[in-house]
Amino acid sequence: MRYLRIYKIFLKQYLKTLMEYRSDFLIGMLSFFIVQSSNLIFLTLIFKRIPNLNGWTFEEVLFIYGFSQIPRGLDHLFTDNLWLLANEYVRSGSFDKYLLRPINPLFHLIAERFQPDAFGEMIVGLSIFGYAYHLLNLSFTGIQWLLLIIAVLSGSLIYTSIKLAAGSIALWTKRSQHVLFIIYQLSDFASYPLTIFSTFVRMILLIVVPFAFVAFVPASVFLDKPYIPLGILTGAIVAFVMWFISYNFIWKRGLQVYESTGN
Amino acid sequence: MIQVKNVTKDFTIYKKDSGFKGAVKGLFVRKKEIIKAVNDISFEIKKGEIIGYIGANGAGKSTTIKMMTGVLTPSSGEITVSGLIPHENRIENAKHIGVVFGQRTQLWWDLPLEETFTILKEIYNVPDDAYKERLDYLVNLLDIQAFIKQPVRTLSLGQRMRADLAAAMLHSPDILYLDEPTIGLDVLVKEKIRFAIKDLNEKYKVTVILTTHDMSDIQELATRIMIIEKGVIIYDGSKEDINKRFGNNRMLELKIENLSETLLQEVSVMCHKKDKKSIVIHEDVVLRITFNQDRLAVADILGFVMSQCKVLDFKLRDQDIEDIAKRLYAGGIHEEVV
Repeated sequence: MRYLRIYKIFLKQYLKTLMEYRSDFLIGMLSFFIVQSSNLIFLTLIFKRIPNLNGWTFEEVLFIYGFSQIPRGLDHLFTDNLWLLANEYVRSGSFDKYLLRPINPLFHLIAERFQPDAFGEMIVGLSIFGYAYHLLNLSFTGIQWLLLIIAVLSGSLIYTSIKLAAGSIALWTKRSQHVLFIIYQLSDFASYPLTIFSTFVRMILLIVVPFAFVAFVPASVFLDKPYIPLGILTGAIVAFVMWFISYNFIWKRGLQVYESTGN
Repeated sequence: MIQVKNVTKDFTIYKKDSGFKGAVKGLFVRKKEIIKAVNDISFEIKKGEIIGYIGANGAGKSTTIKMMTGVLTPSSGEITVSGLIPHENRIENAKHIGVVFGQRTQLWWDLPLEETFTILKEIYNVPDDAYKERLDYLVNLLDIQAFIKQPVRTLSLGQRMRADLAAAMLHSPDILYLDEPTIGLDVLVKEKIRFAIKDLNEKYKVTVILTTHDMSDIQELATRIMIIEKGVIIYDGSKEDINKRFGNNRMLELKIENLSETLLQEVSVMCHKKDKKSIVIHEDVVLRITFNQDRLAVADILGFVMSQCKVLDFKLRDQDIEDIAKRLYAGGIHEEVV
């Protein structure tokens, strides 16, 4: 409860400062729309030549793509400060302050930043998802919608856990922006059907950096072409296991070895 | 209130050769070296004390403070603060301490100061009426009213430091850690900060641990001094006893007509005969002699010099903390300890 109140205050303050940097916000939104539409144009062009991608139709690929942007955006909206953890907080020593306050340091770190740029991803994702839903003539039952929400939340948690793990490496190395960047780039694979990739890439996306569970695995369930059995449940379990490992074994271990910086 | 027992903090650093070649080589082979930033230190601090914690840059001051505040985990040894182990109970410990690191702010850069205080109120869970009373007190004490509505990024260093101190004390902590709180400030702001620290200590019995390079901070505030050098505490005691520990030194300054090299030599030889560690230097026509008054009497020096030449003016000064600090920072006070 208290944490919720603190979060609300941070959010309110953040939105206030946002108003001060309005143009920055607008440019951020715009850039996301540009990136997203270029991706879409790319997809459309490919499917004009190849109507069928390894057993997946254009509409289905759109569905997976749109779906993937929703958990991605949700995570991006709330945990963007993990990028700054990776890039500068440890190196500059400003990370100290999170360890000096009587609240959970990870909560403090995350609450401090809210990234409305992410609305760009979510709006695009939802629109494409809705469009594909319409093209595919899908009609979900109540339970399916519920499963969808669970899948989106699990997907976000997977994103957050992976970012936390990669960002926490900075607690050892002072800076882990490049590691985080490379790993985050892998998530681009998650927007497409996993079956189009080689076994090696598939194994990585399923086991090492489980981005496959962010969109493709649950989307395949909703498209009635389940890639693995019990995809949604497995995805949720993967999300919790990832979170558990990242939080307890990487982040918390990192806090123990954190060396701060000299003055 | 604070117990530090045999605490050591090791840092591992990787040595690289210089230049581009070295950097490339460093990617593959790194020489590992372990540095003891703090080496087996022990002390105890009682409620209401103001500790002046001094030492050269890199001596281990900040590392000690960061371990006491729970930011760093000691490599070995034990720290308890009000019965808690700081790095294991960070959150509980944080409720009872205030921290100001002079070199970097803990305020939110883009927020007006007032809003920062309301966030801190929530983070520290300060009840409404206690908050109001405390804020009034701090705003008055540190003279903050004039800029309380400004975003932190627009504040001058002096304003920001006062704001940082107020922010650190908003939740009425029993212990205040100050790491170089007066660095880079003008005399008036320094005065204000010192006054505030004194007031907090007198009115609320706040225990203060203060590191600084400004010896007037120590002179005015500290009830006890700790000196750390190369990770080892080499002095822990009162301001008054410090001379006993570091030699009862005095400095004699003489302005002399026609100061010649031969005279300088003669004085030097004469002083060294009695006090091997005495230092004779000169600047234009001024001769400066630092000596231990237990070994060498002022009268002897004066008598000798006056028999050789005409002394226009002279000054005699007791060694103060400033001098000790100077010698300390120049290195090698260790060997001088008697």
